[in-house]
Amino acid sequence: MTAAQILLAALLTPLLSAVLIACFLRRRGTLASYLSVAAAAGICAFSYLAIQATNGSTIRAAIEWLSFGNFTVSMGFLFDGVSATMLTMVAFVGLLIHVFSLGYMADDKAKGRFFGGLSIFMFSMLGIILADNLIMIFVFWELVGFSSYMLIGHYLDTDEAAAASKKAFIVNRIGDLGFLIGIVYAYWHFGTTNLEAMGAAVNADSSLISWAIAALLMCGFIGKSAQFPLHVWLPDAMAGPTPVSALIHAATMVAAGVYFLIRIAFLFPESVLGGIAILGTSVAVYAGFCAYGQNDIKKILAYSTLSQLGYMSAAFGLGYPGIALFHLITHAFFKALLFLGAGSIIHGCHHEQDILKMGGILKKMPITSITFFIGVLALCGVYGFAGFYSKDAILVAGGLDSTAIFALLTLGAFLTAGYMGRLVWIVFFGEPKSDAAAHAHESGFSMVLPLIILAVLSVVGGWIGVWPEATGEIIRDNLEHLHHAEGHDEMHSKVMILGSAAWIVGLLGSLFFYGVGKNGDALQNRSKPVYEFLKARLWFDEIYGFYVAKIQQRVAVLLSFLDVFLIKGLFVRGSAGLVGLVGACSRSLHVGNIHGYVYWFLAGILLLWALASGVAL
Amino acid sequence: MTVGLNAFLIVAGLLFAVGLLGVTLRQNTLVIYMSLELMLNAVNLAFVAFSRYNGTMDGNLFVFFIITVAAAEVALGLAIIVALFRRRQSVMVDKLNALSH
Amino acid sequence: MLDILFYVFSAITLIAAVLMVLTPNAVNGAMCMIVAFIGTAALFVLLEAYFLAVIQVVVYAGAVMVLFLFIIMLLDVDKGEGGATEYKDKLTIGASAIGFLLLVMLVFSAFSGAHLPEPGLTAVTENPEVFNGGVPFTTSSKSFGYSLFTKYMLPFQVAGFLLLAAMIGVIVVSKKHDVAEE
Repeated sequence: MTAAQILLAALLTPLLSAVLIACFLRRRGTLASYLSVAAAAGICAFSYLAIQATNGSTIRAAIEWLSFGNFTVSMGFLFDGVSATMLTMVAFVGLLIHVFSLGYMADDKAKGRFFGGLSIFMFSMLGIILADNLIMIFVFWELVGFSSYMLIGHYLDTDEAAAASKKAFIVNRIGDLGFLIGIVYAYWHFGTTNLEAMGAAVNADSSLISWAIAALLMCGFIGKSAQFPLHVWLPDAMAGPTPVSALIHAATMVAAGVYFLIRIAFLFPESVLGGIAILGTSVAVYAGFCAYGQNDIKKILAYSTLSQLGYMSAAFGLGYPGIALFHLITHAFFKALLFLGAGSIIHGCHHEQDILKMGGILKKMPITSITFFIGVLALCGVYGFAGFYSKDAILVAGGLDSTAIFALLTLGAFLTAGYMGRLVWIVFFGEPKSDAAAHAHESGFSMVLPLIILAVLSVVGGWIGVWPEATGEIIRDNLEHLHHAEGHDEMHSKVMILGSAAWIVGLLGSLFFYGVGKNGDALQNRSKPVYEFLKARLWFDEIYGFYVAKIQQRVAVLLSFLDVFLIKGLFVRGSAGLVGLVGACSRSLHVGNIHGYVYWFLAGILLLWALASGVAL
Repeated sequence: MTVGLNAFLIVAGLLFAVGLLGVTLRQNTLVIYMSLELMLNAVNLAFVAFSRYNGTMDGNLFVFFIITVAAAEVALGLAIIVALFRRRQSVMVDKLNALSH
Repeated sequence: MLDILFYVFSAITLIAAVLMVLTPNAVNGAMCMIVAFIGTAALFVLLEAYFLAVIQVVVYAGAVMVLFLFIIMLLDVDKGEGGATEYKDKLTIGASAIGFLLLVMLVFSAFSGAHLPEPGLTAVTENPEVFNGGVPFTTSSKSFGYSLFTKYMLPFQVAGFLLLAAMIGVIVVSKKHDVAEE
């Protein structure tokens, strides 16, 4: 089989699984779960085969899907090093999360629907990874949004889940509006939406780069990867089941935005890149602060994700898309690990999510705790773990660019260590604070195995030398570039010192501040106003709520009034009325009187005579 | 004869006008129909006058056909009036207004 | 001499026509009509269309008007019906009369002056040769026949069909109702 066919098989396997589940297996949850896991395994196998088959070269394949006159929309694959890297990560992490879900969702009544949703999500994600033109990316982008909507709203009977899924979808759609306009503009500007063709055009003539296209396409990224100002959906999305949070909102979907940016990196001029860097840095710091005001374990991890996404976009904005990709991959490993660990804890504590009610988990669930610690260390950027290498590279790049960015990023690292430390000390140590925590027990094999594998990856994943040859090429390139940048070495040592200081101070500081096993949140107890301020998260949700309720609602009412009065009343009824009027007038011609008809006849003849002799008209 | 073409045309025109007057003023269907025949007759006169003064035969032939058609039309029209009388028991136009709105 | 005849016969025709329109009695009207047709036939004779004059008297005055008289008497319209009340106001009559006179003047002015030459009567031959323009005017009925069967063959045949259709139509329309309902 050629590489293109293998990739097609990889793409269609989860679709097939989703279709089968949707049609036949909705009641048979267990069977559906096995089928979905098998599909995920299939994706892994096919990806491996495809990478073997390509051997580092780029694969292109396309078929025409729609054509209107001059304009054709094609569906095709563009499989180069970047997509190989991403595909490996998505396939592997996806498989592990599927396996985890077998255990986690074992007693859920709607298992079939859940696994169908996971399969359709894998299909959509693979579509984004493999796509070769903007329109195809957009189609799968929307599909991913739909899968996210479906999966967030899995617990149908809770209001919270329904509202969260709606919010996620709508906020994404706002970003997608900019995305769509960007695609249209790009087509108008370049004459094509194919990524390779656009890249070639830009290489040939760099004046074709337009900041407007870059900014518009970035809107899709802002929506999907939860940057300012469209970040409000991500914390709410934690209302979905934990495997969903792990897969979609940590490892893959939110990373799709960053992946997309990397794909279109050639379109970005300096000005926009600078803007992205500032945006990313500010999100990184903002989310770090917000995490201190949260008591739900998943929400803390969500803000952590937000913060790390900020790091990724900062890396991209500093001009190193490869390093952004690197951080994306390592983040996927350890964030998935953290989420799955949290899921294991939640499952063990019988669905208790408040950290203030947990405690002493270390004694009750040792394997989960150890793997969780490994994840935390990787997230904080401790030397030797996966997160260190990517974060280190980002800090160096930031430092080489501007002191302000460097300072903020380091502050972000400190904050990260701080809130993760808070989490660890409160949850794992001390005495159990509730019955649920007291009766916690270690999770089953299907849940623990992925944790162990991910823990290994969180350590090994950063050792870029170990990665297979075909993947990671762009990462190596960018790291080389960084190493040879000016002032790298002294910046590197500076970063080593400051970065290590950041996480050490963060972890130990949180230990001293929050203490082990204390009751309640120390910050809340000591200075309520600060805690409340952090919890308010800069009132974004309130502002948006006010806008929608007061402003948008009024505009909608006005438009509806116009619609009823103008369009229905004036145009539709009006034209009907006009026709009726003409009919009534014509009806009055039927006098029934012969003499009347004679007069009309005469009038008609005179008119015709005038026309014929050229007098009238 | 020194009477010119125009004199004949004036006579024809006057006959036509009188016929038109009859059509619009009278209420009796039969009288209306006779006035129509008068109008046709006026046209015949005009045709023959033109034919004579232009020196061709075409006008006369056309009158021939007009007379034929008029005869057939009168037969049929009177049959219709008779049928109408059977239905409505009147030939006065102001009573024949069933088609009014 | 012929001029005087022209004026006399024109006057007769016109007066008879006006009387026909104005008389309230339909039978009187039919009689006046016959006089008008005969006046017209006289005018045809003055225009040397002898054949047509005879046809006019035989067909129009003889057949058509007789048919009219039959129907008028059959329908037995009351004398009282349509008496003085039959006319509309004097105003309508006056206005209509003036209107139609204006129409006549319009017709006359359209044909006066430079539009038509004032030809005098040309000489007439008995048996001319036929040539490609209009058939020249003769007084004999031979040229009638000649034109009918060469130049106007199609209208001639169509007229035949027309008469057939009229005959069938009359038969159908005048069927009695109880026969039709059976």
